[in-house]
Amino acid sequence: MQLRINGRTYDVSDDYAQEPLLWALRDGLGLTGTKYGCGAGICGACTVRLDGVATRACLVPTSAAASVEITTIEGLASEDGTLHPVQQAFVEQQVPQCAWCMSGQVMAAAALLDANPEPSEQEIVAAMRNNYCRCGCYARIKSAVALAAERKRGQSA
Amino acid sequence: MSSEVHPAQRRFRVTRRGVLLGVGAAGAGLVVGAVLGRNHIYGAIGRLLAEGTMPGGGGETDPAVWFEVLPTDVVRLIVPKVEMGQGAHTALAQIAADELGAAWAQIEVVQGDTASGPADGMGTVGSASVSGLYTPLRTAAATLREMLVARAAQRLGTDRALLEAADGEVRSRADPGVSLRFGDIVAGVEEWPELDEAPRLKSPDEFRFIGRSMPRIDVETKLRGQARYGYDLRADGMAYGAVARPPQVGAIMVAAAPGSAAEHPGVIDVVIDPERQFAGVVAGTRQQAREAVAKLDIEWRTDRVWQQRDIDALLDVEDRAGIPIQKDGNAERVLEEATTLTAEYTAPLAAHAQLEPQAALADVTDERARVQVSTQMASAARGEIASALGFKAANVVVTPAYLGGGFGRKTGFEPGVEAALLSRAAKRPVHVGWTRAEDMREGFFRPPIRSRFAARIENGRIAALKHNHASGEVLFSFFPALLSYALGADPGAWRGAYNIYGRIEHRLLSTLTAKLPVPTGAWRGLGLFSNTFACESFMDEMAHAAGADPLQFRLDHLGDDRTGRRMRAVLEAVAERADYGRTLPEGRAQGVACCVDVGTVVAMIAEVSVEGDGTIHVHRVTQAVEAGLVVNPDGALAQAQGSIVMGLSSTLLEQVTLEDGVIVAENFDRYPLLTMDRTPDIDVVFLDSDEPPNGMGEPSIGPVAAAVGNAVFKLSGRRLRRVPFRPEDVAAGNHSLGGVG
Repeated sequence: MQLRINGRTYDVSDDYAQEPLLWALRDGLGLTGTKYGCGAGICGACTVRLDGVATRACLVPTSAAASVEITTIEGLASEDGTLHPVQQAFVEQQVPQCAWCMSGQVMAAAALLDANPEPSEQEIVAAMRNNYCRCGCYARIKSAVALAAERKRGQSA
Repeated sequence: MSSEVHPAQRRFRVTRRGVLLGVGAAGAGLVVGAVLGRNHIYGAIGRLLAEGTMPGGGGETDPAVWFEVLPTDVVRLIVPKVEMGQGAHTALAQIAADELGAAWAQIEVVQGDTASGPADGMGTVGSASVSGLYTPLRTAAATLREMLVARAAQRLGTDRALLEAADGEVRSRADPGVSLRFGDIVAGVEEWPELDEAPRLKSPDEFRFIGRSMPRIDVETKLRGQARYGYDLRADGMAYGAVARPPQVGAIMVAAAPGSAAEHPGVIDVVIDPERQFAGVVAGTRQQAREAVAKLDIEWRTDRVWQQRDIDALLDVEDRAGIPIQKDGNAERVLEEATTLTAEYTAPLAAHAQLEPQAALADVTDERARVQVSTQMASAARGEIASALGFKAANVVVTPAYLGGGFGRKTGFEPGVEAALLSRAAKRPVHVGWTRAEDMREGFFRPPIRSRFAARIENGRIAALKHNHASGEVLFSFFPALLSYALGADPGAWRGAYNIYGRIEHRLLSTLTAKLPVPTGAWRGLGLFSNTFACESFMDEMAHAAGADPLQFRLDHLGDDRTGRRMRAVLEAVAERADYGRTLPEGRAQGVACCVDVGTVVAMIAEVSVEGDGTIHVHRVTQAVEAGLVVNPDGALAQAQGSIVMGLSSTLLEQVTLEDGVIVAENFDRYPLLTMDRTPDIDVVFLDSDEPPNGMGEPSIGPVAAAVGNAVFKLSGRRLRRVPFRPEDVAAGNHSLGGVG
């Protein structure tokens, strides 16, 4: 079967059709930037965007993603390698520690800023509180999302 | 035949100053490494016993860390320590670059493996990556620097004293135009003379990178999703493995047969070895392998179905059964005359819950095994994998991958052994990645503890204090049996229980190490979190019994020894920073706690409120810390922030329980972690210090629970003697286990 991921078309083995999209991405296609944490939609490490909407890839059957545009962390930076404003802010604020959760954090934040370019602190917390970070980088995540929002507004102005 | 690039084949030799050097394999340029000298080892063993840290390097002839200067001007720093988010690779690069006079951009940090890399029997544990390697790494770098300077002097026809190494070149102090790049100096040189004098180490005022918040070298790759962790490893022709798990704690595999597993779609091989208690499947996808495992025909025997109350009972032992660890005066006699208060504290089993479950990729052929695994203990993994395969250790190469969190859990490497056994049978590379349920249930846990205290208060001071401590094993599970027998009590289990208040005349700490039916072991800080909770909460109880302010009470009991002086400084600093004692908003209170760990002193103040239903809100945590020289201030800050969040998660939420022989939680629905909405503002102040670096990965987790609990007491009069602090306990006040005698 075919999937549209990061603007390209991929062929993935039918073995993965009934499995969660997460495993088609990681094992079927080698796009291992999307991480496995719980497989139950709790931790958020596998967050990707389906037609722009932040979605837990561990809960979506691969077959159900065949008709949508999938964006993963590998597709967030520009073609020329320029980081997305959220990635750039996370680098500048030195947010990650182990970073296993960070693809999910970044994808969730990118979706938030597209939906709400000027989130308040409470809105950032409300959008990000369902993404676990065991290393405890929450304060930095919060400030980096705010910084990214500011940058993004500056870019589009 | 162990490897192409083992240090021994680089013609290393031990020099008079304990530095290894030699000319590398083709094109490798100059190679210099450092072994930990005897003094370091002896000092480290002393610290192990005093503070729970262990030595950081290799043996007599294996380097603990080494460099290669390549003709391309790249300086490769090969390190034994794994990067699990603690920033060790960046901090080690800073130390190396400074002492070497390298440019930041030319340093390339390479993760050593067990063949090509440095020996590191200790692993990445004990907050010791920077503190343990600080001096050996600098010595190696300084040696390399002086060798480069000497060779450059020869080439330039000038005197060594007129040259300096900086920015990756050796240049004339008088005329910076006269210079040679490091890469030019090493190109084509085959023999390097030993230095005729010990290299001079730079003084702190010469540091350019040490003490600065250099950006982490691994962060951008990780944020692009390009870093390879254990779970991400791939190889041509690879398959996926899954392994049968016992249905209950302690269950034994009596018999096993393939059943219908081999017929399951995608199955490549079924591997059964009841003697090893092993049955697994190799298949084309993970899901196929897991489904097929369920079709294996396995007979399990459970001799005893363990319950949570059995574990609790194993710690509920006679006080006199413990081994005395700390004894001043005669606390028992003084307490027999009169006891002012007693209390019992407990902390439960807890999980590491690192977000990357354990994973490994193995490629085993007839004679040799290559295993990549996310582990903190590559050397130990090599030994165990070799033993499982019946190979010589030299024929097994273990390469640590990036770790998606360690926290002690990845001192284990079970998937490495499992993948190796499966790969040998299936004759292809096999990846084993544990499910969250496997990671929650099949590993080892932070042990439960139980602490009984008795104290006598006289004239506002502690006249006598007795602490009877019991815990599950921490380090004993790693130690040889004989060492455990000789030590009697597990130093990891009582880490954090040692009383630090030098002005208590009569004090006794005894501890008992219990082997539990559920495996227990290393967790961030070992016993530090639970024991500091107990000790520093009871310190607060004693302060209230004495009618004293808890902060002043602590200051009054600190001695004039080094620990006492350093602790006084951080307590005073945190009080100032948090404006301790100020009028707080209605419904808020501050609690104080402190600890000493891996040579670092920490004092903490938590500002807390409590809702009507008993839900605790921690608004602000202020910490003052003195950790010796801080190599990377922002990295050290991140470790403090992360430790506080993890400590708070354990304080408010985390508990593993056993029911009918099964660990109840198999995912985060039953074992939730702290989230952003419950994370307090965290303010950390570092005190300047002339001391060498101490650990920062663990100490800050120590005081969290006590600081919060002490604030809740101040607010509500309810003393919380068990973590996690559940709302129902706060609302009801679980103070049944304390008493005034």
